[in-house]
Amino acid sequence: MRLAIPDKWQLILLAALGLVLGCVPSPLRAAEAEARVLMLYGLDPYIPTFLAMDQALREDLARNGTKRTQVFAEALDSQRFPLDTLEPDLAALLATKYRALQIDVVVAVSRTALDFYQRHGAQLWPGSRLVYVGFLGYEFKPAALPEGASSVLSILDVAGTIDIARKMQPDARRIVVVSGSSEIDTRTQQQARDAFEERPAKVPVDYIAGATLAEILARLAKEPSSSIVIYLTQFRDREGTPYEPFEVLRAVIAGSPAPVYGAAEPFVGLGIVAGSVSSYESKGRLIGEQVRRAIAGQQPDASHRMLQAPNRCVADSRALRRWSLDKKRLPEDCEIRFEEVPVWRQYWQEIFVTLGVVAAQAALIVALIYQRRRRVMAERAEQAQRAELAHVGRLAVAGELTGAIAHEINQPLGAILSNADAGDLLLDSGTDQRDKLRAILADIRRDDLRASEVIRRLRELLGKHHFEQETFDLNQVVAELEAIIRAEAKRRGVRLEFKREPDALPVIGDRIQVQQVLLNLVLNAMDAVQDQSDDRREVSVATTKSKRRAVLAVRDRGPGIPPQNLPLVFDSFFSTKTEGMGLGLSISRTIVEAHGGRLSVDKTGSEGTTFRAELPLANHKAGLQSSPT
Amino acid sequence: MSTAPLIHVVDDDASMRNALLRLLDAAGFDARGYASAGEFLLHPLPDRVGCLLLDLRLPGPSGLELQSALQEQGIELPVVFLSGHGSVESGVKAMKDGAVDFLTKPVKRELLLDAIGRALDLCLAQRSSRTQAMQLQARFASLTDRQRDIFDRIVAGRLNKQIADDLGIAERTVKREREQLMLKLDAKSAAELGRLAEMRARTKTP
Repeated sequence: MRLAIPDKWQLILLAALGLVLGCVPSPLRAAEAEARVLMLYGLDPYIPTFLAMDQALREDLARNGTKRTQVFAEALDSQRFPLDTLEPDLAALLATKYRALQIDVVVAVSRTALDFYQRHGAQLWPGSRLVYVGFLGYEFKPAALPEGASSVLSILDVAGTIDIARKMQPDARRIVVVSGSSEIDTRTQQQARDAFEERPAKVPVDYIAGATLAEILARLAKEPSSSIVIYLTQFRDREGTPYEPFEVLRAVIAGSPAPVYGAAEPFVGLGIVAGSVSSYESKGRLIGEQVRRAIAGQQPDASHRMLQAPNRCVADSRALRRWSLDKKRLPEDCEIRFEEVPVWRQYWQEIFVTLGVVAAQAALIVALIYQRRRRVMAERAEQAQRAELAHVGRLAVAGELTGAIAHEINQPLGAILSNADAGDLLLDSGTDQRDKLRAILADIRRDDLRASEVIRRLRELLGKHHFEQETFDLNQVVAELEAIIRAEAKRRGVRLEFKREPDALPVIGDRIQVQQVLLNLVLNAMDAVQDQSDDRREVSVATTKSKRRAVLAVRDRGPGIPPQNLPLVFDSFFSTKTEGMGLGLSISRTIVEAHGGRLSVDKTGSEGTTFRAELPLANHKAGLQSSPT
Repeated sequence: MSTAPLIHVVDDDASMRNALLRLLDAAGFDARGYASAGEFLLHPLPDRVGCLLLDLRLPGPSGLELQSALQEQGIELPVVFLSGHGSVESGVKAMKDGAVDFLTKPVKRELLLDAIGRALDLCLAQRSSRTQAMQLQARFASLTDRQRDIFDRIVAGRLNKQIADDLGIAERTVKREREQLMLKLDAKSAAELGRLAEMRARTKTP
């Protein structure tokens, strides 16, 4: 019993206040090269307070230590595993573990650890120096420390906490002090009474001491929200029921209409408004200093026998808000925790950088999209322009072809008229000539269709039209224009020869534009032989297959292109003809290249010139799939 | 039936050609079609009244070329041009070379038949003048050399006495030969002889 309560108390205080000076024994001596420190925890070493303290200690050693220091840790955890039964085994285990290991400093955290050290330290860690981390007052007197030991102690600053509470709520009508009835509880309560004696309250102070939890809550429920509640400690009520001070505090905070204050650091996170507490970080640093001194072989001063961790004001911004308290009333140096600093203030750099990156990315994306859009628009505009130019080109071609076109239309029209006249005459003759009449009508129908077909093709060729993608047979394109080309050749007295690749030549692209290329090349060829002697007035049009390309070759037997003109033939507005615009070949090349092909002068000389348009052959299957789009 | 005039149609467009043949047939003509100038030339030309209906543009030799070829060979066959796309120049040339008409397709029946009628008239006229010339030629051929000399001098306006002096024969002989000559040429007067001489000169020169 005697042990249990102090241990428990100690645990809570240590954990709660983070007062326990870093339990960090710094390893010393051992091999000359490195110092060894053993942290000997009497309780659970993973209590957050201890962890923070431990961290602060290690940081201190790393930053300020003159020697490389290794930190070991052992936990007695006497709260959960009673030492009564385990101590011999534990001691034996530790003896085995540390037999060959020289420990320079042992940091005993909590009274249990101190007691254990006093019983076994000399055997387990001979020659080690002791730094005690504990709580001033209730269970420890500095005189109990062995020679050469130092201690880092916390105090429960009840008076300071009461001062803060009064400052926060100057208009409070009542002050309620809650504590238990254990010995420690009584002492803390006494501290409160002392504080009020020193600075008397102008308002009534109620002490709820040793009440059961239910009674406490019932009492507090009646408190107006303007009251001040000071929670000290409650390990036990007057009926002897043990408590964890935490669980009492939690209930008090949940049930109290009035703001609650407390003096232990861990209370801050649980919902108290504020308190004067000692910081575990500063404790860690104090322990570090003592450990370093011990490693360095310096004897502790008198003051080091009992070093006190500083207390300071810590407040909880959530609790301030809960009870609508003005944080401006807090002491100036008060640390406000859990402040929900707007993220943008807390992480402004990260946010700034992130936003910057996001903005940069967004800008990049926008720029890319914009660029792409512009490119697409430019492509579209270019395509439209090309289509327009191609159209102008076709109109020009049509101008040259009017004779041939007239012929192609007049021929069937003439036949129709003559057939009709013949039919008329047959009817006039009065004899039954039905078979002849029927044949005449059939011919009329056929010629009519033929004429309209010519017109349809012309409309197709001459109409404005947008670039279209379809799969077509190059041979077919040539065949469709053969009649017109022949008519023109006849008109000009030019012999014409067609040679066709027997296989289909599937090409993807715009049929009309390819027809235009054909017409341009053929008309150019006819122009070239215009002034030639009869035997050379000859033009040939051939389609062939070459590797993966469909080839359209137009050959004339003209005088050839003079070498100085050769680089210019595909330029816009270059023409050697008096009436030419100089656009035909330039447009043709543009068209062929837009189809992924190539238009070139294959050969030229006194024997004539061959123009060669190559278009990529469509993979037949692919062609069928992506047919007219 | 061989009395009907024979129209030769040269057009490379089968449909047009057939329609024309059909029309001409219905109009009571004999008609034959050819697809090109060459095809026409390969066929023997029967000695019949007729004309040539000729397309201007043809594969191979053109219509105009065929026209001049026929003239060069002295084949008198009146030509009517029928063109799908006649230009002014080709029309002028055709007419200068003696074409009867220059029509464009599609052609109205009246225009076509009218042109063909005129061509046939021309053909008939040509044929009759050709017959006359041939008869004249035959008559002249029956003259003796002396009679031909006397004829030339009569036509030149010489008197019998002068002719006798020119030829160194008796005037009486001139008179006798002159009578025989006029019988052979079927002429009744010196003026008629002059006309014959003129005709002969005209048919001889070409």
